[in-house]
Amino acid sequence: MLQAIKPKKRVVFAYLAIPTILFIFAVFVPLITALVNSFYEWKSGPNKTFNGLTNYITLMHDSTFWLSFRHNLFLVAVCIIGQIGIAFILVLMINSRLVKLKGIHRTFGFFPSTIAAVSIGFIWKMVYDYNRGILNWFLGVIGREDLQQVWLSNEKLVMLLVAIPLVWQWIGYYMVIILSAISSIDTEIFEVAELDGANAVQRAIYIVLPLIKNTLLVCVTLCIAGNMKAFDNIYVMTSGGPGKASMVMAMYGYNVSFAENNLGYGSTISVGIFVMSLLVIGGSQWIIGLLTKDKEA
Amino acid sequence: MKKKALGILLTAAMMATMVAGCGGGSDTPATTPADTTPAESTPAESTPAESTPAETTPADGEGLAYTGTLTLMHYSTSEESQGNGSSDGIRTMIAEWKEANSGVTLEENVMSNDDYKTQIATLAAADDLPDVFMLQGMNTAAWADQGLIMDLTDVIANSPDSANYDTNLFGPFTTADGKIYALPTVSGGTCTVVMYDKRVWGDEFPSTWADVEAKAADIAAAGQTPIAFGNGGQWNANSDFLSCLGDRYTGEDWFWSLVNKEGAAFTDAEFVAALAEMQRLFVDTDLFNADFNSVTNEDAREYYISGDAAAFIGGNWDVSYVGATLKEAGDELYENTGFAVLPQSADATHQRNSQNGGFGYGVALNAKLADDPDKLAAAIDLAYKLSGADFANYVASNYALGGLVKVSDVDFSAFDAWDVDFYNFSYVDNPTCPIYDSFINSAVWNVLNADMQAMLNGSMTPEDVAANAQAAYESNY
Repeated sequence: MLQAIKPKKRVVFAYLAIPTILFIFAVFVPLITALVNSFYEWKSGPNKTFNGLTNYITLMHDSTFWLSFRHNLFLVAVCIIGQIGIAFILVLMINSRLVKLKGIHRTFGFFPSTIAAVSIGFIWKMVYDYNRGILNWFLGVIGREDLQQVWLSNEKLVMLLVAIPLVWQWIGYYMVIILSAISSIDTEIFEVAELDGANAVQRAIYIVLPLIKNTLLVCVTLCIAGNMKAFDNIYVMTSGGPGKASMVMAMYGYNVSFAENNLGYGSTISVGIFVMSLLVIGGSQWIIGLLTKDKEA
Repeated sequence: MKKKALGILLTAAMMATMVAGCGGGSDTPATTPADTTPAESTPAESTPAESTPAETTPADGEGLAYTGTLTLMHYSTSEESQGNGSSDGIRTMIAEWKEANSGVTLEENVMSNDDYKTQIATLAAADDLPDVFMLQGMNTAAWADQGLIMDLTDVIANSPDSANYDTNLFGPFTTADGKIYALPTVSGGTCTVVMYDKRVWGDEFPSTWADVEAKAADIAAAGQTPIAFGNGGQWNANSDFLSCLGDRYTGEDWFWSLVNKEGAAFTDAEFVAALAEMQRLFVDTDLFNADFNSVTNEDAREYYISGDAAAFIGGNWDVSYVGATLKEAGDELYENTGFAVLPQSADATHQRNSQNGGFGYGVALNAKLADDPDKLAAAIDLAYKLSGADFANYVASNYALGGLVKVSDVDFSAFDAWDVDFYNFSYVDNPTCPIYDSFINSAVWNVLNADMQAMLNGSMTPEDVAANAQAAYESNY
């Protein structure tokens, strides 16, 4: 019976070929072309001249690129703590017996991650608006006019301010992942722990965390990958400004390629983003690997 | 068997949607022109019968031998043409040309100006420019150098309107060897104008910053922002301020020397002094709205319209928007708005009433058209139409705007004070100075604009801004 339903191999391959071709076309082809173009000087016109490693040497000394990279790392740090951390706490709260209407909490929590990043940018731009923004309005209401300011012009805070919408947007996404991981834990374990007198915090740290460790690792990897390519909401909110105070790598690559018409060097930056992202993801997994090894030993 | 058939069907459907999805983005004439052209709703109101070109009809009337497709890319969208004279002018000229040349299938690709700049640069890099398009002054040298655009020097000399061309306007489209590559159009006018509320500032806007600051203190005390400005897009401080203020400090010769690489540098003391003055005005005084660095010019002009601010500094595109909005609302501010040049600074030594004006865009032709003389003739005919006497007369008589062709007897009787005042401000009363970013290239201006935003935030010195701009100039120009 099972044999009858099982499709022929070539049917399986035919189906798989569609996404594979799409993937190759959308990911690998641009990656290889960018790699090739990164060795050329290619400015405002079709003429390209091979210039060897010149673009890469420029990239190594390009302070804006490294500043953007540090900003991306900052985003990663804020988002790992903010997105995954808060999502974890929210999931524990939703799972608690005291909370009613769990389905509604889950749905509304997930809601922001279905909104386009550009819209998120516009929404938060309005939140931070100097004259009509809800943040300054709130500070006025509680009598802290001294704290009112042009938020997105504050160079010291601007990276945090553009990170907050990202945190807000993706909490629900990680909530769903963590929720499904926790629901696979045998409830008997919790009951036994409760009988043994473990409180909620102890249950979270000593039971839940170790049991969903692998899921959290996936979350961290997704979070890093997502934040290394951050672009849309920052583009809408500040375009990398004031000056370069909120410039991230993808936006710098976009600016160089399309605003400055320097496609050769823009390609080099893209390759740089790819390499740096791989390094950060690889590095983080190596660190996590080391940490978890210690615990098991 | 049934399942297999269904599988094949689904696969086919999926492939079809994918192919269709890919096709949508390309600009090959896969879809019929009848589909592509009216999608942008070319003024169907004015030419109901002709909005779809009848591709099979042979050339008529004008005697163009060419009967194929001609591609045109521009940024005069139907939204933009509401109240914006030059956009409306361009769209009207296109509609008239299509009607007169039904043998040619004109395939238009229209998008907003921001998207246009990115797309046309990408198409240039891919050597895939349309036949006829709008060339931005600062791309002229690089694209001419790479053989992308056609030398139009002779075309301009042979134009039926050549005797009436305002030849000063060719500047941004002329290369160092004297060749001209575009016919200036989309009548521009000024990039820096102070629009002010006469009920607050008085009939005349103060002519020096010192007087502005003195008066502004009272205005601020009364709860109004003295002047609204928006630099959220980073280009505004350059196009709508520095380009004019800089001219007061350096004079025009300095800028031409910079353009022609004859020794001037961004680090020259006069230019640094202009940057320092700008920093002083934005950082040390309370003349401007506190959020000038994070709102766009679109936001800032709303401060003026709503009365939150008593003046606004922007370009001619802002004037047309503010005018149309105030007029429609029947706001008294419409009758009480005056136009003034940027005030003069105490230590500036050059021309005191200059305004940076000119034409940022011109109609250019793809160099590849040389291979097909008939097609080239059709493209030249279209370029003449978009920049010639018809266009100039249309924008002059409908919007009191100037074009490449000088219109001597503009009948002002149909216009109100707003239009006449702005016409006089732009073309009669004040001398023009160059718009910085119509020249050199975006790689330089991008660096300067980003740094200048930090400088106006108080976190960068004018000297550092100048040094970075000079470095970008040396390595990219």
